[in-house]
Order: sequence, then structure tokens, then C-alpha cells
Amino acid sequence: MMNIKRVISTIEKNYILSNLKKGERIDGRDLWQYRDWSIKSNVIASAEGSAEVSLGKTKVITGVKYDVGTPFPDLPNEGVCTFMAELLPLASPLFERGPPNEQSIELARVVDRGIRHADCVQTKKLCIKEKKAVYIIFVDIYVINYSGNLIDAGGIGSLTALISSKIPEGKWENDEVVWTGKYLTGDTLVNELPIVSTYGKIGDIIFSDPSLPEELVCDGRISISVTEDKITSIQKSGSATFTVEEVEMLGKKSMEFGKKTRKDLDLWQYKL
Amino acid sequence: MPLIIKDEYPEKLFREDGKRLDGREKNELRPIKMEVGVLENADGSAYLEWGNNKIYCAVYGPREVHPHHLAKPDRGILRVFYRMATFSVFERKRPAPGRREKEVSMVIKDCLKPVLFLELYPGTSFEVFINVIDADGGTRCACTTVAALALADAGIPMRSLVTAVAIGKIDGELITDLSGIEDKAGDADLPCAMTWFNEELSLLQFDGNMDLEEFSQSLTLAKEALSKIYEIQLTALKKKYIEIQEKYSGGEK
Amino acid sequence: MEHEKDEPIEEPTTDNSEDVDIDEFDDEETSRDLVVPGEILTEDTKNYLPGRGTIFNKDRSKIISLNIGLKQVKRNYINVIPLRGFYTPRPGDKVIALVTDKNPVKYICDINAKDRGILKPKNTVPRGKPRGYRGGAPDRHDNSTEKYDIGDILIVKVLSADRLNKPELTTVGKYLGKRRDGLVITIDPPKIPRIIGRSGSMIKMLKNLTKSNIFVTQNGRIWLKGENLDHERLLIDAIRKIENEAHTVGLTDRMSEYIENEKKIRGMN
Repeated sequence: MMNIKRVISTIEKNYILSNLKKGERIDGRDLWQYRDWSIKSNVIASAEGSAEVSLGKTKVITGVKYDVGTPFPDLPNEGVCTFMAELLPLASPLFERGPPNEQSIELARVVDRGIRHADCVQTKKLCIKEKKAVYIIFVDIYVINYSGNLIDAGGIGSLTALISSKIPEGKWENDEVVWTGKYLTGDTLVNELPIVSTYGKIGDIIFSDPSLPEELVCDGRISISVTEDKITSIQKSGSATFTVEEVEMLGKKSMEFGKKTRKDLDLWQYKL
Repeated sequence: MPLIIKDEYPEKLFREDGKRLDGREKNELRPIKMEVGVLENADGSAYLEWGNNKIYCAVYGPREVHPHHLAKPDRGILRVFYRMATFSVFERKRPAPGRREKEVSMVIKDCLKPVLFLELYPGTSFEVFINVIDADGGTRCACTTVAALALADAGIPMRSLVTAVAIGKIDGELITDLSGIEDKAGDADLPCAMTWFNEELSLLQFDGNMDLEEFSQSLTLAKEALSKIYEIQLTALKKKYIEIQEKYSGGEK
Repeated sequence: MEHEKDEPIEEPTTDNSEDVDIDEFDDEETSRDLVVPGEILTEDTKNYLPGRGTIFNKDRSKIISLNIGLKQVKRNYINVIPLRGFYTPRPGDKVIALVTDKNPVKYICDINAKDRGILKPKNTVPRGKPRGYRGGAPDRHDNSTEKYDIGDILIVKVLSADRLNKPELTTVGKYLGKRRDGLVITIDPPKIPRIIGRSGSMIKMLKNLTKSNIFVTQNGRIWLKGENLDHERLLIDAIRKIENEAHTVGLTDRMSEYIENEKKIRGMN
């Protein structure tokens, strides 16, 4: 049976905390170090765009599908991009089957907000005919293995899936949408790359990229999305509190992480 | 509104050279790749690629039954949850489980039950979660095959493995292992599974039209294909252990 | 309030039942033949009988494996030593329990089995202790659940376990009780005898080379405490390696080589 229980043993929590106080994380990383990323794009033949992303042992598969629909009345010439996440029971005995719960909704919404408030998905380019037909882009995140920090993995997965997308291009002809024979690719869909960084807090100590045991015992978490020079979204969860100085420090750190991650992962290489 | 590119099927399902659209002979299986122990948080797990099908399966059990009222006092229960990812099909599927998924879950459950010893585990449940992340015809057969591996990987005593394949008829000819297009545009679809301890069929469905002669031939084709796929399952199950043995054996026994 | 200290753990094995001293994986009669469910082990049903992990087929003409494991022939029994499996509680087993819930009349514990275990307050204090021992207020512990909290790790013994009832546990006994430090990892229960080794050879080697205290229990859980984080990490890596290679030969020697090497690579002493 399983290692992971809803109840975490006190000795495990103490073990993690006492080592953190000495600046040691139980997997040997230092406080601000990320686990290894592994990214594969175009893994799903049936999807218009897809990515399999692993952060340490956390594994997330993200797929992009499109549909054509009528636009929102207040945004008649803009397409729509919508995010969904499912925490599959495959990924952990902690995930129960059933309709999306708080955790999966939070995952989808945090990834969504980080991307939405950046100039990322170019919804103005996703209009086929004003007021009549726009693209609806679905970004669906499936968690395949849970080993901590789903948000950062989901964020990179979403960006990679969008960048590697190939969506049939439509034009308005005789009151209906017809295929031009061409495709929209990642560079049309995506502009900026917002990167989300998640931190955990146990006691007084804050660290990046919580692993599974750290995430299960942490008092709280904070996720910060940034573009090259702006913060685009923040989400604090759990019962921990953060000082103003800590938050400012994390904002700065996130900018640094954002720049480093964009450079290290070079997501644009996945464009078709 | 309809999608920009439509899901259309060609007139003929055989090419000029007599092969199937994906280049296969009539009785040729698609490439199949299987791996066990791929999900560390589950009690047992397996991953399968079968043509373009990509499927993950995890098993939890024996464990307590939630909700309680479903528990049986004299035996364990087997629950199978077959789900397809939204992006696994041509037109995005709604995330919530649909009727087809519920039906396939039940069919797979009935298929796997005969190999288990549920009466040894009263009051508990065995749960099999199957997630199709990319689909291309014959998913219920692929899912049954991968679920059997995941159950074995979980260390749950089994009478034997279970193997499944879909035989079909396209353009009047009987073929082995239907792909997505062949399933949708063909004349008949016969998914079936065999439990090896008694060499009997534990999954059997049919859609289409066939005369008795064709039906009998289909079952023969099925048996041949099932034996080949069974070999792949056995290899996958033993592979990781044998690799480790070979690495360290140095010829000893 | 009586203060229960963690007792130092001296013995290398859990001393409950005879077959713990037998490391099936290191046994001469265990072959290295890997078998899977449904595999035919023999058709000579005149001379052999189905033992552990095996069964007759319908017409009793063959003996079939039920598990993935190693084929073993002992006298005229054919057994399969499973490589994967779950823990089934038996009376007398020493296991590591995690208190997941409690109410006024009992503790409910996760023991890595299909059912959670029940620990009643009367099984947390030694019998025959008169109330008001050491004078002062009467000891309330023997009929209330105040001794342990949710999240506590306890080393317990299984008092009773059967098909139909939840297992009952006790913390009364040598080396039993609450652990206040160290950590617990879980491995595949069938591999536990391999961690102990033939006559405790593997666990003795692990303890000495990693300078750690280790307590191995039947439900796949191992409590350990090393000098420092580096030693503990190495020990955990070593245990995982044993878990992966349990079915190979020459493991004990290979493991001591591995640990010595890793100590050099990691700059440990």
C-alpha cells in the first residue's frame, strides 16, 4: 500500500523542518533550487498541441484542442482560451475521482490567471468573423504523477502545448467557416511567456519548488507569475502567513527565476 | 459550430497495393509497447502504446471501500474507471464521464473479475483507473490488456493475465486489430478478450454484420492475435526484473 | 505524567516469528526463475503439490503461479516467492503504525494494510499497574485516548487479525511504543526479509556501514535514524537499491561495495 497518507506523521514534519533549519532539504537541493525539468512536445496525436512535462517526479500531460464558437458579447472580435485541470487518481491515492475539487480548480485557475494577465495568448488573433465566429482554445492539464508542485509543472506544460500547437486556419465564406488549407502555429497563438514560480513555507523557512513530502507538511504556499518585467498573478494558499518583506523578496526571486527558466528551457524550440 | 477540418473517412479502406491505410497487412497488429511500474504512487501500474493509443493504468487495492455502503461483507469488490482525456480524440471530449465510458468500465470490470480471488478480501475494494490520453481505435481492448498488467504489478494474486484484441471487417475483408478509421468506417467490430487460465472469452462484444462463417473465422483470427499480444504482456511484466538480473548475474545462477 | 522514552533498538531483527530469520530470496531452494500469474510451474502433479503463491488448475493437471515472483521448490512443494504484494496482518507481527484518527475509546491507525488497525487504551499500558502509581492523581491513560496524538508513529504488535475484523494492536511490550524522532520509509512488504538478510546479515551490514539505527517491521515500514542527513540519505538509497535488486544473487556483497563507494563519492566517512 501507500507511502502517502492524508495524515503526515509528526516525526516526518519535524525531520523536514529540523533539516531545513540547517539549510538542508531532504533531497539534497538547496532552498532555491528546482528539480530537473524534462519536456516533450507533440506527444498526443489526437491533440492540436500537447506536452508531457516532468518536474522531478511530478508528471503532467497537457493537451490543446480547438473549437469554433460565437464570441462573448462584450468581446466580439476576440477568441477564448480556457484552462481545465484534472488530478487523476492515477497520480496519487490522495486524489479521489469525481468532479473537479478545490485543488484541481485552484491548479487550473492559477495557471490560467498567470497566463491571462500577461500578453500571452493572442485572443485578438483568434477571431474568424467578428461577432459570428471565433476560435475557442482548450488547454487541458492532466496530472499523471503527483510529487509536489503541480502549478509550476502545469504552467510550463500549458506554455509548451500552446507553443507547439497547429490549429487549422478558418476563414469566413458564405456565412460559414471554411478551411484555408493552412494552420495557425504557436507564434501566432503565443506572445509573451509568463513563468510561474511556487514557494513553500514551513515554520519560518521559505523554499522553491516543494517536493511531495515538503508540500504535504508545509504550512502554506505562494505562487507568483511573471513576464520579463511584470508580475501578472499571485496566489497564496494554506494557513501560513508571509511578511511584506518576504513577499517583496519572493517577487524579486520570481523575476530572476522567470528569466532563468525562459533561458534554460527555451520553450520556443517546441514551435512546429 | 462544426470544426474547421471535418472528421471524414475515405471511401476505400484498402490501398491500391492491397495493404490497409496505415500500411498493414490484413492480419498484422499495430506496434505495441508496454511497461509496468510506471506510476510510483499507485499499488500497481502499467503504460501501453498500441498504434496511436496511449494509455495509463493504475491499480489501488486491496483497500477500504469509499463509500462504505458499497462494501460487501463476504468478498472484495472490483471497480474499473475507464476515462478518456478531453484531447484524446478528434473532437474535444467533455471532461465528465459519459455513457460510453461507463459502459466500457463495466465491460472491462466483468472481463477482469474471473481472474481475481475477490472472496479472499471481504469488505475491501480493488480499483482500476484507466486513462486513455490518446485514442485510435480498439481502446477497450488495449485498456483491458494494460489493466491486467497493472493488477499483476500490484502483486494481487491472479489466476492468469487477460489479453484483448478487436477483429473487424472492412470492405468485406476480415482484419486484425482495427484502427480508429477502420472502426468508424468499417463493416464490423468484434472486441474480445481471453483469460488464459481457462482459455475462455471474458470480454465479447460485436457491432456490424457478419455471417456465421465470417464470425467463426474472426474468432480464429482473434485467438492468433491474442497469443501474440500475450507474449508481449509476459515480456513486459518480466522485463525490468530480468534486466536487473542480467546486469548483476555475471553468469551465476 | 509518566514519560515514555524511546528505547534504543539493539536487536537487528524483529523477533516475533521463525520465518523472519529466513530470507527466502537468499535461500538455495529459491531459483532465479522469474514467473508470472498464470505461468505453468510444473505438469508433474504426481510428485509435486502447490505451496505458497501457487494453485492447481481446474483439472489438477498443472500447478500454476498466482504471482509475479521467483519459483522455489522445497521438498515436494512448489512455491512462488512474490516480488510484489501487499501486507496482510498476522497476530504477533511487529509493525509501524501511524495514528490517523482517534475518538474517546480507541485510536485508529494506518498500518499499510487493507484495513486500519485499532489500538485500545487498555493496550497502551502494561497490565496490572495499579491506579495512582507513584502516588498523586490516578493514571487516566488506561481508559482514555490521551497518551497518543494523531500523527504519532508507534511501533506496535498485532494482537489479532482475521478476515472479517479490523486488526487489534498493542504498544505494550519490548521496543514497542511511540517514536519521537528519526523517520519512516515504506518499501514493498515482500522485500522486507531481504533487508534483514540471512541471519540478519544484510541489516547488520547496513547498520554498521551507515552508522544508523534501523528497525524493520513486517508491514514494509522501516524506522531509521542516522548520525546526520547524509548517512540517512545513503541508507535510504541503499534500501531502495535492495528493494529493486532483491531477486538477484550476491546482493549482500554488492550492497556493502555500493555503500563504501557511495561514501567516497559523497565525501562521507
